[in-house]
Amino acid sequence: MHAVFFIAAIASIVAVFLICLFLFVNGIPAIGKIGIFDFLLGTKWAPSNNPPSFGIFPMILGSIYVTAGAIVIGVPIGILTSVFMAKYCPRRIYKVLKPATELLAGIPSVVYGFFGLVVIVPVIRSLAGGTGSSILAASILLGIMILPTIIGVSESAIRSVPESYYEGSLALGATHERTIFRVMLPAARSGIMAGIVLGIGRAIGETMAVIMVAGNQARMPAGLLKGIRTLTANIVIEMGYAADLHREALIATGVVLFIFILIINVTFSLLKRKEKN
Amino acid sequence: MKLRNTVLAVLSISAVMALASCGGQSGDTANPSQNGSSASSFDSSRPITVVSREDGSGTRGAFIELFGIEEESADGSTADLTTEEAIIANRTDVMLTNVSGDEYAIGYVSLASLNSSVKALDIDGAEATAENIKNGSYKVSRPFNIVTKDGLSDAAQDFINFIMSKEGQEVCAEECVPVDDSAAPFAGTNPSGKIVVAGSSSVSPLMEKLKEAYLAVNPSAEIEIQTNDSTSGVNGTIEGTCDIGMASRALKDSEASQLTGTTIALDGIAVIVNSENPAEAMTSDNVKDIFTGTITAWDEIA
Repeated sequence: MHAVFFIAAIASIVAVFLICLFLFVNGIPAIGKIGIFDFLLGTKWAPSNNPPSFGIFPMILGSIYVTAGAIVIGVPIGILTSVFMAKYCPRRIYKVLKPATELLAGIPSVVYGFFGLVVIVPVIRSLAGGTGSSILAASILLGIMILPTIIGVSESAIRSVPESYYEGSLALGATHERTIFRVMLPAARSGIMAGIVLGIGRAIGETMAVIMVAGNQARMPAGLLKGIRTLTANIVIEMGYAADLHREALIATGVVLFIFILIINVTFSLLKRKEKN
Repeated sequence: MKLRNTVLAVLSISAVMALASCGGQSGDTANPSQNGSSASSFDSSRPITVVSREDGSGTRGAFIELFGIEEESADGSTADLTTEEAIIANRTDVMLTNVSGDEYAIGYVSLASLNSSVKALDIDGAEATAENIKNGSYKVSRPFNIVTKDGLSDAAQDFINFIMSKEGQEVCAEECVPVDDSAAPFAGTNPSGKIVVAGSSSVSPLMEKLKEAYLAVNPSAEIEIQTNDSTSGVNGTIEGTCDIGMASRALKDSEASQLTGTTIALDGIAVIVNSENPAEAMTSDNVKDIFTGTITAWDEIA
């Protein structure tokens, strides 16, 4: 019987190992062929040109910009929502609010993308001009998408702060608000940071929704209202037609994305460990 | 208790307001679209939204080549000059949605995928029709290819015979432009078996029609069409996951050495704009200037 459990346990490890193997075996030679600096810092992506250019710096910046935008929009809303849910919310509203935020996490990303395409993009187009498919549209959409992650993790972090902190602060004469923002939130800081890091992970890995609203131009970011292409979008958009070195360059793009996610996950576990201590 | 009542009141008021604002918004969005239907609301000083396909797409490859957007220098190097501002649509239907959703957009699709949600422009005075492609006055056309590996099954061979026969080419004529006007009538052997066809989303509407027509002649065959893209179709054929691959581009050397390619029809590429756009025709130089970013607003078009 133990063997069955063991096989189940190693299944996921084998999967991760095989994915790593696939990525690095296919991606690293391509990076070598293109040249690591030309690949990571090249500003021109033109795989069909002869000779082709495979610079993914615009896409790296694109992913970072869009994720930063999502953080700017999603984090304040997410943290304030979690404070409300943990410390202000009457039970009856909580019963509605909690499942609602969880539902937000369950909506498929292509539905988010479609929502962005028919609601956010036309609104930006009519208010701010331009095409609407822009860094701003992608940031707003991703900001909404990372809300459930941030709310969920932050709420449990706030709830796990010992009640004695709250009571002690009140006993010293602080108000409810002051207690929450000066005592409870700092005490829950590493948990909230972990929630934000998970949100970043979700934002940087999101593909389908971003493709539909970001415009996908493979050029250096040119403004909030101009389009951008992310690392994930670059892979999905061009994988279908790519052949030879172009295809390998896309897998190498996946390697870069993988390293990004790796950094984010390590940060997350460090924060988690800090929280336990 | 008091707090709870206040919260309830606030919540119900905000719910009512949300409903009301939703109603208002839908009214607002209805109005511009009504205004939009009259051509007068088209502001020609607005920038052009250029929509292109992704690098590597067969449609894009053919488009940039046919309009001279691909520049070839003396040393044999080529550069795709499509403007960096162009929005990239990664599929035909995304292209159609983008153009039909933005009054100021311009894009391009295969003639076989053209539908009434967008408007096709006349290029250099010729309308984008099969007739004009055949007589050569509409110059923006490319081949539709199918690829096969050696050791084809009887059913697949029979299907290909059908495509290249008089009946098959008549079906092609309905969708795009047949390659052989004087093909011999089909003489099938009615083999049974399953044929898997995979590849370009530009070719698949035509392949669907061919499938229908073929199954009417030979009901014992079974045909499965998987739509993805040219490279997947070609690779699938090499790897043996499908019998026939569809490609809307010429084969690369690495592919041609392993496969046999056959041109089954010619396809035009239609330059499309939003139905609200008053433009009806354009010269190929205009199209080139728009897609290379030389012309950026509709009123700059000479």
